Amino acid sequence: MQLKRILVPLAGTSVDPEVIRVAIALGKPAKAEIVAIHVIEVRWNLALDAILEPESERGEGVLDDAVKVAEQAGAHIETELVQAREAAAAIIDTARDRKADLIVLGMPFRKRLGRVYVGKTVQSVYVGAHCAVLAYRQEETR
Amino acid sequence: MSEGRDRGDGGEGAGPPSLEERATKSGSRPGDRYVRIVRPAAGEFRRHGGHYIATRRVDAPQGRLGRAYQAARRILFGERLTSEEEVDERLSKKTGLAIMASDNISSSAYATEEAMRVLAIAGATALALTMPIAIAVCVVLGVVILSESRVIRAYPNGGGSYLVAKDNHGVVPGLIAASALLIDYVLTVAVSSAAGVAAISSFVPEVHDHRVLWSLGLIALLTIGNLRGIREAGVIFAAPTYVYVISLLGLIAYGLFRVASGDVPTPVVPRDAFEPQGIELLTPLIVLRAFASGSVGLTGSEAIANGVPNFRPPESRNAVITLVWMGTIFGTLFLGLTYLATRIGIAPDASELETVNSMLTRSLVGDGTPVYLLVQISTAIILLLAANTGFSGFPRLASVLADDRFMPRQFAFRGERLAFSFGIVALALMSAGVVAAFHGSVTELVPLYTIGVFVAFTLSQSGLVRRWWRLRDPGWRVSMFINSFGTVVTGTVLVVVAYTKFFYGAWMVLVVMPILVGMLYGINRHYRSVQDALTLDRPDEPIPQLKPPVVIIPVARLDRATLQAVAFARSISPSVRAVHIASSAESAEEFARRWKRWTTEVPLDVIESPYRSLLQPLLRYIERIDQRDDRPITVVLAEFVPRNWWEWILHSQTALRLKLSLLFRPNTIVIDVPYHSEDTGHGVTPRGPEDPSR
Repeated sequence: MQLKRILVPLAGTSVDPEVIRVAIALGKPAKAEIVAIHVIEVRWNLALDAILEPESERGEGVLDDAVKVAEQAGAHIETELVQAREAAAAIIDTARDRKADLIVLGMPFRKRLGRVYVGKTVQSVYVGAHCAVLAYRQEETR
Repeated sequence: MSEGRDRGDGGEGAGPPSLEERATKSGSRPGDRYVRIVRPAAGEFRRHGGHYIATRRVDAPQGRLGRAYQAARRILFGERLTSEEEVDERLSKKTGLAIMASDNISSSAYATEEAMRVLAIAGATALALTMPIAIAVCVVLGVVILSESRVIRAYPNGGGSYLVAKDNHGVVPGLIAASALLIDYVLTVAVSSAAGVAAISSFVPEVHDHRVLWSLGLIALLTIGNLRGIREAGVIFAAPTYVYVISLLGLIAYGLFRVASGDVPTPVVPRDAFEPQGIELLTPLIVLRAFASGSVGLTGSEAIANGVPNFRPPESRNAVITLVWMGTIFGTLFLGLTYLATRIGIAPDASELETVNSMLTRSLVGDGTPVYLLVQISTAIILLLAANTGFSGFPRLASVLADDRFMPRQFAFRGERLAFSFGIVALALMSAGVVAAFHGSVTELVPLYTIGVFVAFTLSQSGLVRRWWRLRDPGWRVSMFINSFGTVVTGTVLVVVAYTKFFYGAWMVLVVMPILVGMLYGINRHYRSVQDALTLDRPDEPIPQLKPPVVIIPVARLDRATLQAVAFARSISPSVRAVHIASSAESAEEFARRWKRWTTEVPLDVIESPYRSLLQPLLRYIERIDQRDDRPITVVLAEFVPRNWWEWILHSQTALRLKLSLLFRPNTIVIDVPYHSEDTGHGVTPRGPEDPSR
């Protein structure tokens, strides 16, 4: 599969640096363009385009950190900040809009009721995306 | 997917400019929408707490030349520091002692000798008074340290004597104290660099012929070190200070052991001894002069109180501890060296061929021994590093004065390394000027020294007396007694120093000081008048409604730059008029014809200038228009900007000359509309005779 564009949704968790490195490694052979995206989920009682200072600041921080990780790995990535009601839908739409061939999702290692927990966003993107989706689960922390 | 832009689209009715652009997009599911936030400046501006922070990338130079210059700056001055790193740049007590007390501690290298030289005039027996005088100086130092520690606690934001005098005596005494200290800091750097070179030339005599150049070189080195930031300067310059202190303490301990064990060494005899019977009678005046000369050891003790914010938190406590350390170290060295010199029987050299400390060291450890060399070399270095006290004191005091609007505001700005770069460079230039004017001679410079510091001490101590009397805090009587005693003592020393050194150069300081006070006062008056003119009457002052201005466009020729300027002028006002200065009747007619053919929407005045002068007719025209209209006059200039800097010389720079001529003209707004050779016209649709598409 010849990858041209990879979309990497980032939530600001500990798995972010790893998932960026995975995407860079996957895209390197075909010199694929990598786009990191952070979605600010807007509550229903607010306007969709409301200016959410703390969330925007955090989102910019997440994306700036991703750029730094990529620079350390010798790669250049694009970033995109998005506001939506639901992160999964915005990721799917951005992937379609940007004509991404692959979405690389990161999952921090979490357990609920003794089982590895896969978040709602990961599940929805996995099911709804038009392109290939790769889910990267973080190594179990000891 | 449909798209709607909320901000920054630059189209008709666009909102205010913004660093981000928000575009609402439709999602793939019915009714779904999301907002794309485009950040063209991502990486350059970071959002933080409702505002933007410019990142390191913003300052990164673009061109190759700029990058090379930046790299050279980084090597010379180090990496830039953010404002938040200021706390990390503060000094610990150890580095604070090295950088802020070096002037005072280095005084121990010559204070004994200075007192001895005066007493020696009255004969060898008068030298026995050296030790009582040293004790008296140390008592004064104790009083000064006690009162300076009170200054630190009362004024933790620095400023020292200036603030104390200003708060308790008024503005003028405060400015006298400030100018005295500023002069003293400049002289500290000048004297220290000259003394450092003198010490080097003792080992390498060839240096003596080029001592001014060497002094300037040393000032340049110290400037670079201090521009790297106060902490780094402390780290660079700390080691030599401690080597000096440890080697001298070791020498004193060894000397005391020998004296206590009855093994008193034979004194080294000076090559050019004073007359043993003396040339004058031992009068109280000679004793006072000896005391005044020995009081050079008190210089530099004000620097810590002046620069309290340089210390790590708790600033006041650390500053007081450092001050006590400084006094203890100086007192121990001064008393120890004086005791040994008088006990062994060292006499000063009349021709200054060898210092008393050098003779004392030679008497104790022998000539040319490693210990002798260590003491001499570390003495040379500490004398040079005493200049650091000036470099830490002057910029800090200048910044306090600038904050109070008594000095230009540039002195309050911190540079890339958080040092007060402007103050450091100004100090370096002034002290370099002093060194050059006095030919790098320590003997010529020393009489100018110490007056300033005693003026500041006397004013600050008397200021504290008034403060204690006014506030009457618990224990005020003790504090008032200490400071009253200090006022009398430092005031006496000031009178004695001024009297004895007046004709040797001290008069210059006494002349310069009032001039400087006048300058500081004048600067403040200017800032106050500016503030009165600019300050809003109330915080919710409404934005005034202005009528569109009268716009005048000086036009040299009809070209793309003119086209762009006319388009811009019409976008800000309907009242636009072009003016052309022609050198002959033919060219005037020709230009008017071409203009009329191009447009009839913008009226043109053509002025024929038979003497070919350009600026004067234009300025007079603007003046006359302005007299006939009460609206602000706006001059829109079309300026061609060449691609390379060297192409500038090929153009006449009329716009630049006109801008300069109009700079100070009241009620006049000058707008420059640059036209770059690669410009596409900023949304201007070219038409008319110069349109290339035609």
